[in-house]
Amino acid sequence: MESIQRVGAAGMLENHRVLYKCKDYRLPLCELYFCRHCLKLRSKDCVSHEVDSHYCPNCMENMPSAEAKLKKNRCANCFDCPSCKHTLSTRATSVLVPSADDPNKAVAKKAYYLACAFCRWTSRDIGLKDQSVASGGWEEQENPNAQRISELVEYYKQVAQKEKSDRERKKYAKSRIRLLGMSGKYASQSARRHASLTSMQNLRISAPDADMSLLKEEEQKLVKITPNMAVEEVEGLPEDIYTTPINLAHKGSAQASTGTVTSIAQRLSQPDEQPTLTNKLYPIHKHLLVKRSLRCKECEHNLSKPEFNPASIKFKIQLVALHYVPELRILSIPNLYHLKESVVLLSLINPLEEMTNVTLLGCEEGDPEDIDSTAKIVLPSQELILSARDDAAEYDEGDNVMDFKDDPEVVIFRKANKISFVVKVTPMKAVGDVKIAFKMKYNYKNITTPLGSKEEKETPMVVLEHHVDVNLGQVIPS
Amino acid sequence: MPLFETIGLGGEKTAVVIDIGTSYTKLGFAGECGPRAIIPSEVKRQQTGKVVRLEDYYNTNQDELFAVLVEFLHQMYFRYLLINPKDRRVLIAESVLVPTNFRDTLAKVLFRHFEVPSVMFAPSHMLTLLTLGINTALVMDVGYADTLVLPIYEGVAVLGAWQSLPLGGRAIHKRLESLLLAESTVATEGGTELPLSSIVGTVKEEILEDIKVRTCFVCSMERSRKVQDAAMAQLGLIDPSQAGQPPTPPPSVEFPLDGAKILKINGSIRESATEVLFEQDNELQSVATLILDAIIKSPIDTRKELAENLVVTGGTALLPGFLHRLMQELNSLRQSPKYSSKLAFGSFKIHTPPAQPNCVPWLGGAIFAATEALASHSFTKDIQYEGPHIPDWCSLNNKDFFTEGVVEKTPVSLPTLRKTLEAIKSSTGLGAKGGKESGKESGKGSAATTVKLETSGESTT
Ligand SMILES: Nc1ncnc2c1ncn2[C@@H]1O[C@H](COP(=O)(O)OP(=O)(O)OP(=O)(O)O)[C@@H](O)[C@H]1O
Ligand SMILES: [Mg+2]
Ligand SMILES: [Zn+2]
Ligand SMILES: [Zn+2]
Ligand SMILES: [Zn+2]
Repeated sequence: MESIQRVGAAGMLENHRVLYKCKDYRLPLCELYFCRHCLKLRSKDCVSHEVDSHYCPNCMENMPSAEAKLKKNRCANCFDCPSCKHTLSTRATSVLVPSADDPNKAVAKKAYYLACAFCRWTSRDIGLKDQSVASGGWEEQENPNAQRISELVEYYKQVAQKEKSDRERKKYAKSRIRLLGMSGKYASQSARRHASLTSMQNLRISAPDADMSLLKEEEQKLVKITPNMAVEEVEGLPEDIYTTPINLAHKGSAQASTGTVTSIAQRLSQPDEQPTLTNKLYPIHKHLLVKRSLRCKECEHNLSKPEFNPASIKFKIQLVALHYVPELRILSIPNLYHLKESVVLLSLINPLEEMTNVTLLGCEEGDPEDIDSTAKIVLPSQELILSARDDAAEYDEGDNVMDFKDDPEVVIFRKANKISFVVKVTPMKAVGDVKIAFKMKYNYKNITTPLGSKEEKETPMVVLEHHVDVNLGQVIPS
Repeated sequence: MPLFETIGLGGEKTAVVIDIGTSYTKLGFAGECGPRAIIPSEVKRQQTGKVVRLEDYYNTNQDELFAVLVEFLHQMYFRYLLINPKDRRVLIAESVLVPTNFRDTLAKVLFRHFEVPSVMFAPSHMLTLLTLGINTALVMDVGYADTLVLPIYEGVAVLGAWQSLPLGGRAIHKRLESLLLAESTVATEGGTELPLSSIVGTVKEEILEDIKVRTCFVCSMERSRKVQDAAMAQLGLIDPSQAGQPPTPPPSVEFPLDGAKILKINGSIRESATEVLFEQDNELQSVATLILDAIIKSPIDTRKELAENLVVTGGTALLPGFLHRLMQELNSLRQSPKYSSKLAFGSFKIHTPPAQPNCVPWLGGAIFAATEALASHSFTKDIQYEGPHIPDWCSLNNKDFFTEGVVEKTPVSLPTLRKTLEAIKSSTGLGAKGGKESGKESGKGSAATTVKLETSGESTT
């Protein structure tokens, strides 16, 4: 796959001006992860996502994944309105019921039903009986075809199994295996005879032309399936469709009791029934959500792992690139004229707790990573030294303890772990955006050396390199 | 509740089954009775926040399509199915007309991005048979973009006989739009009533779909003929005395639009929008003739059995009255001179699969994917890198099948078939300009273009 250009010329997001290359993608640093084990940038497209935990977004309860599977990823207690998808609430009322002691006396009893505060749909609309307990107890919809479908599944499972054993038996004999076979015209008699079980002819109820008596025997052992029967007559429309007005209005209208016609979204939210009238819409168990963890595809280490508590937005592990890679920002851009050298101010921020030396290098001629730069650049020729990030130091104003011997022509400003510096840019294209590209090299202290490895007492410093693209905006024709 | 936790041996996890239609995607798990969800085949792009339809990327460059599919399937896995892609085999129920570019890219996305263990592409018409426990049927899928008819005899698809027209949900929406713009009015808050066309030039497809689903139906054939005759009489094309009384149109409907506007939908529109499927003013073809033509193109000794085993799938078959009308049309057309001599068999019979029509191919996939056959008929990563294209499923596992003369020479292979179709579609711009083999433009603005196949080896006519 070729690289995907994420920068649109117009309407570009500010943080999309500086992009770091990661495999096939070029993304802002804030959208990238950094694998501390591979020492590489990772985007959400080059990590694998995994389901970490299931939870209900309404009651905020976690559900163990085995249970989630069993409950088809739905919360047992919370429901969505089948009419408008808002969350339903449980309403309690008192109803009078005959007393157990004296049938002639009525006693008050609590009754619960489901109601939508948004569209006013209630479980009573569709004739669901009120419940005597506050949660659960609602009758579930069964698929009327469940029995038949499970017979079909069982039948074809056997067919497949048989096909497999046939295939193994006939391994050396010439076998022709074909599933869902398709031929140009249609299979000849011989094809029909030879095709093995996977091809659909063997899914027949009886196989009259099976060659081998052995086959015949086994055929008999197969559970039979009654083939579906086709019919000549199809029921026509009820005559009153031509005369009965239809009601699209919502509740409160005259026909609300008989139900109004459902919308396609309402139908598809109950795929098995797809009811055409609202009085066949049943409360929908709330669908669970998941928290995801991210894993580096190369080394399988976690790059992001959320906390288990559904209400928490914190992470146990979160290796965002902004915490590991010097961040390049644009400070100021003058008017950029075609073929005229101008001075652009950039800044670098060191997120690491170690000092680092950054070197910026132009791309060489024909660098495959440099896909669309449109300007010549002069980068700082010496290393840029960035102080370590020190959260406490932010508050000590101004005492620059260290002398960095910066070239004042290059480094304009320095404070704590941040410096700003100059690059000279000469746009080489008369139209479009001015784009520059370069490599950023810096030292990084590899903190993931396995514990207890004896040879190395000190964590090794390594030099990392990233390709960076910067879009400086429109050129002004000169 | 039949919930197949594991299938086959070795505790393999239940496979994922997907049917990516042009308008809706059905997704769920092997062995279950229905899809977990039916969602529009579209995705909200992360980068731009815009909702895009997958179909619009079918023929764009692969990188774009790749990125869109990644986002689409990501939401499928982590919003709907809530499982780890790596753990599960995937079965894709696909139309035999799916563009090569699309399936190749889809396979790439599944293997490279989601790292799924295996993928099987299975033709939805074949899968449909598994839901019925039969192996011969004439399957018609009437979805959104096309109607596609494919006979399957004794488990083998009669490829040379397939028929297709761009008739389905989209064609109805188009027709409905032009009818509304021509005839309907909008009542505004102030009580003024204006022609719809004076307010808008087009109607959003969601609104058209909603109107269709909630108000339209397919009327009986007799009624349709009466309406037609009356219209012809009005145009002076036939003698009014012959035409008889036109039927009273169904009640009109007040359809609330946004704001306080009310769209008044004339009753006649409710029954005439769907006529686009049955009228034969486009090279004398309709969804009904597709079935008859497919039967005629099938070998003579298969025709009776095919006619007695019709199956209709696809969401458009859910239109009230659709199946009834289809049977009426079939029974009437077979008497016509064009077909009567060639269709000398008993009667048409139709099956009712154990699922809603739009879920039938998915259900077939769910049944198949619950069996051990899934493993032996799937691609794994390695196969996928062998060639530039994913091999067609028909050549899978039976490389020598076609060459051994088991089948009478194979005149059409699926790739050829697809290429021809893609060529026809692009040369006609889906009905814009008549290609050599394409139909003439439809006079009423429907996108109906005849797609006929000219295959190299064999004449299909
Ligand atoms: N329950 C329903 N009632 C009425 N119409 C429906 C219903 N479900 C789907 N449809 C209509 O059927 C069409 C979609 O059918 P389907 O899902 O079979 O198509 P698809 O698979 O997306 O398209 P294709 O097979 O052409 O690629 C849409 O136009 C939709 O309006
Ligand atoms: Mg479909
Ligand atoms: Zn809940
Ligand atoms: Zn509601
Ligand atoms: Zn890694």
